[in-house]
Amino acid sequence: MASSFDVAILGAGPAGAEAAGVAAQLGLSTVVIDEASAAGGQVYRAPAARVPEGDAHHAEGDALRAKLAQSAAVFRAGERVWNIARTSDGVGALYDVATIGARGLETAQARSLIVATGATERFYPRPGWTLPGVIGLAAATILLKSSKVLPGSRVVVAGAGPLLSLVAHLIIEAGGQVAALVDVSPLHEWIRLSPRMAARPDLLARGMAWQFEIARHRVPVYRGYDVTRVLGANSVEAVEIARLDKEGRHRPLMLEADALCLGYGLTPATEVYRLLGARHAYIPERGGWIPELDDAQRTSVPFLYGAGDGAGLLGAAAAPLTGTAAALTAAADLGALEDHRYREKANELRGRLAKASRFGTAMASIARPRPALVKHIDDSTIVCRCEDITAGEIRRAVNEGAENINALKFATRCGMGPCGGRVCGEAAASLMQCHGIDRTRIGQFTARPPLRPISLGDVTRNFEYSDIPLPEPAPA
Amino acid sequence: MDKSSVGNRGCHSLRVVDEHPQTASARGTFSFTFNGQSVNAMDGDTIGAALWASGCKAFRLSPRSGTPRAVFCAMGVCQECVVRVNGKVCTSCNTPAAPGMDVRSFTLFQTDGIKYGLEF
Amino acid sequence: MSQDFDCAVVGGGIMGAATAIRLAEGGMKVLLCEAQQLGMGASGVNAGTLSLQIKRVALMPYALKGHAIWAEAGDAVGFKESGGITLAFTQHEAEILEERMTARINAGAPIELISSERARQLEPHLTARIVSASYCHADGYANSSLTGSYYRRKLANAGVHVLEHTTADEIEPMDNGIAITAAGTVYTARRALLATGAWTKEISARLGVPLPIRVRINTVSVTERMPKLAKNVIGHATGLLTLKQSTNGTVLIGGGWQGVGTPEAGRGQVVAETLTSNLRLAQYALPELADARIVRCWTGFEANSPDFLPMAGRMPGWENLFVLCCVRGGYTIGPYIGRLMGDLILDRETELPLFDPIRFVEQHDSSTTLSR
Repeated sequence: MASSFDVAILGAGPAGAEAAGVAAQLGLSTVVIDEASAAGGQVYRAPAARVPEGDAHHAEGDALRAKLAQSAAVFRAGERVWNIARTSDGVGALYDVATIGARGLETAQARSLIVATGATERFYPRPGWTLPGVIGLAAATILLKSSKVLPGSRVVVAGAGPLLSLVAHLIIEAGGQVAALVDVSPLHEWIRLSPRMAARPDLLARGMAWQFEIARHRVPVYRGYDVTRVLGANSVEAVEIARLDKEGRHRPLMLEADALCLGYGLTPATEVYRLLGARHAYIPERGGWIPELDDAQRTSVPFLYGAGDGAGLLGAAAAPLTGTAAALTAAADLGALEDHRYREKANELRGRLAKASRFGTAMASIARPRPALVKHIDDSTIVCRCEDITAGEIRRAVNEGAENINALKFATRCGMGPCGGRVCGEAAASLMQCHGIDRTRIGQFTARPPLRPISLGDVTRNFEYSDIPLPEPAPA
Repeated sequence: MDKSSVGNRGCHSLRVVDEHPQTASARGTFSFTFNGQSVNAMDGDTIGAALWASGCKAFRLSPRSGTPRAVFCAMGVCQECVVRVNGKVCTSCNTPAAPGMDVRSFTLFQTDGIKYGLEF
Repeated sequence: MSQDFDCAVVGGGIMGAATAIRLAEGGMKVLLCEAQQLGMGASGVNAGTLSLQIKRVALMPYALKGHAIWAEAGDAVGFKESGGITLAFTQHEAEILEERMTARINAGAPIELISSERARQLEPHLTARIVSASYCHADGYANSSLTGSYYRRKLANAGVHVLEHTTADEIEPMDNGIAITAAGTVYTARRALLATGAWTKEISARLGVPLPIRVRINTVSVTERMPKLAKNVIGHATGLLTLKQSTNGTVLIGGGWQGVGTPEAGRGQVVAETLTSNLRLAQYALPELADARIVRCWTGFEANSPDFLPMAGRMPGWENLFVLCCVRGGYTIGPYIGRLMGDLILDRETELPLFDPIRFVEQHDSSTTLSR
C-alpha cells in the first residue's frame, strides 16, 4: 500500500507530533510514522496497555497523543522504517520511505521529509558491563514507567546527566532500593549550570525535590566518581566505583548490587540523515555529531529537515518548537506558505526557541561526550557487544593504521553487528580519539539500510519463482 | 558456558507493587514459555519485561565470547535481548508477550570458530 | 618525506596495492596515494566470492592465479576453500549452466556437472527444486573487509610510501614523467598508474581521454549470525546469485543486482525492488533464510568496459601514465593482474598478456576519439 504525501515525518515524539499538527493545519498532506504503538517518543512513552498510570508526565503525553489524533495528519503507528530512497529531478525531491509493520511491507512517498527520531543513550564500556543486570538509564525509565518492573532489588545508578536523579527517584518511588547514586560530574559542574536551569523553575524544583528524596532515603551519593568494574558470575553481583582524577583513580569502592543503571548522556540518532547524505558537524554541546542545519531547520539536503533532539540536543521543551519550525519551512519550500506569513511565524518562534532551549542545553552540557572515560579501560573490556570486540583489538587496529571509524569497522568487525554501531560507536570513536585522532577524521559509521534488522521473509513476502526478473546473463 | 544459566532462575519478583490496588488487580495475568519453561506475565508486558520480572536474567549467550546477555537498552536498539518467537528473531524488549507464546533463546555461541552450538 | 619517485600509484584498492608491491619488489621507489583509507572501495565491499564458476572464460587463467594468491594469504584475509555449487531451477537454466560450465572446464577450471541429488548431498539445506547443478571443490571466499588492513601491512613491508586520506587533485605530464599534486604537495615520478576503480571514468575524462567505462552498482546484503545453513558458496546459472555463510555464521547475499548512484556522489543507494528480487532468489535456493534477519545492505561500484575485459596498459595518448581498471571478477583476479601491471611498468615481459585500452580508441585523421 503506497501513498503519496507532501510531508513525511519520522518519529511521533514531542517534535514529530507537533510538526505533524502544524503541517496538516497548513494544508499539507502529512504522514507521521513511528515504530511504537502510540505517539510520545521516549519522553512521553505511553505505558503498556492496562499498566496503571499516575504521573504528570503521562498527562502531557496523553495531551500530545490526543492533539495528534485530532489533527488531519495520518499516523502510522507500529511501523518500522527500514529504508529511505531519495530521488530528485533537480527541482523537487521524492522520498520513498519503506516500512515494515503488522500489515507487512508498506511504502510512503513524500515530497519532503522531517526527521524527528530523537536521541539514544551514550555508553562508555567498563569491564563486566555486558553482565545481565546492567541496563541503560533510559532503559531503566522504560522498564519502570512502561512495564512497572524494577531493574533489580538493590540498584546502583551511575553515569552522567539528568537521567541519574530521575532513575533514582523512579526506583525509590517504586519501592526499590538505590544502593548508590554515582555521578561523574562533581557538584560544582551542576552549580555552574544553575543560572540556565533557572530558566525552568518547575524542572529545577522537581530536580531539587528528587535530591531531597534521595537524601531522605539515605542513598549514598558519590559525585566525581565513575564505575570502574562490574562483577558477577552470570549477572551483576557488585559494582566497583572510584573517584575520577587527572591521572587515574583513587582507592576503589565496592558496592553490593544486583543491578546497575548506567548511562552517560544522550546522543542524537543521525542514521537517517547519514543515509540520505546530509552534511554533519561534530558539536559536543549538542550531543556529538549532528546534521548541519540552517536557522530554519533545513539540512544540507534539499527538502530534508531536522527537528527535536535527534538534530541536536536542545531538550524536550524545545522539541515542539523545532518541530513547528521544520513544518513551517517545509511548507514554505513546497510553496504552500507565503513568504511574509512564513517569516512572521518563524521570527516569533525563534525567540521562544532560544528561551526554551536554555534548560535543555544546560542538560546537554552536563551530559556531553567524555571520551577520556575510555582511556584507561582494560584491553579485555568488550566494546562492541554484538561482536564481542575488545578495547585491545580496537587499539591494535588503530596502531596498525585504521584512522577512521569505517576502516576500524572493516578491520575489526566493530559496528558490523545487528545494532549497527549504535551502542559501540561512541566508545570506539573515543578510543580512537585517545590515540590522538581528530573526531572529524574519525567520522561516523556509514549508514546503510535496513535502519533496523529486518526479517528476510518480510522483504520477500509470498512469491513465485517467475516473480523474480532474471535477465539474460552477461557474456560468458 | 553453563547452559542452565540461561532461563528462569530466581523466585524473587521485581514487579512494582502498585499504590492503587484497584488498578493493579485490573491487570490480568497469563503465562508463556521460555525454552520450554513457564513464565508468568501480566497484561501489557513485553516479553523482555516479563522475563526480567520473573528473575530470568540471561536471555542468550553472545556469539563470540559465550557470555550471558539480557535486556540492555530496552528500546529495540542494542539487539542484546533478542529471542526467537515462532522461528522469527525479535527484540524482546519491545515485543508484546502473549498467552501461550513459545519463546526460545537465540544463542549462537561458537566453539573453535567452526562449530555452531547451543541452539535451544 | 621525499617528493620524487620512480612510480606513483593513484588508488589504494587491490589493483593499486598489488601493483605498487610488485613495483617496490622490482626495485622501484613507489608512492601510493589513496583518497580514503586503503581497500574501502569495491575491494572492501564486494561479497568476497572466489568462485571459478563465475569467472569469464577468457579470464580463467588469470582467475586461477589470483585464486592461488588469496589461498596463500590464508587467514590474513579469512580465505576459505569451501567448495562452490551453482544451481539451475529450470530446464532453460540447466542448458545455460551446462554451456557455461563446459566452457570453463575446457579453460582449465576443476568444475564438474552434478545432479540435484548430489547437490543436496553436498548441501542438505538447499531447496528440493533443483533441476541440475555444478560443483567446484576449489571455489571459496575471503573476507573483503580485511583487504585494507591486509594490504596496509604488505605495502609497509614492501617499503611503499603510502598516503591515505589524500586525493590526487592534479595529474600532469612532465618531461620524462608525471607530476601529481596531492594535498598541496607536488610529487614527481617517472611513471604513474591510475588504479582508481569506478572513479577512473571521471578522472580519465578530466585527463582528456574519456575511457568508455560503464559503472555498475552492485548490491550486497548480510544477515546476522545464523545457525549453520550452508558450507559451500552457492551460485545460480545466470550468475545473479552469490550466497555464502562465513564461519562466524553470517550469510552474505550478492549477485550483482543494481542499486542507483554515481561514484561522483560518493555512494550508491540500495533499491528496495532489486533488493527484494535478490533476496527472493536467495530464499528460493535456501528456504530457511526466510527467518534470517538482514542486518545491512550496501552497494559497491564496479567499473566495466564495453567488452567486459580489463583495461590494463598505457593510457591512450600518454607515454608515462598507465591505467588498470574494469577487471570483471576483480576481487579474484586483482592480486595477479596487479603483478602483471607491475611487470609492465618495470618494462619486463608479462607472464600473461595484458589488455591494452588502445582497443577502444579510433583514429580519425589526426585526432583521437574513443569508441563507445
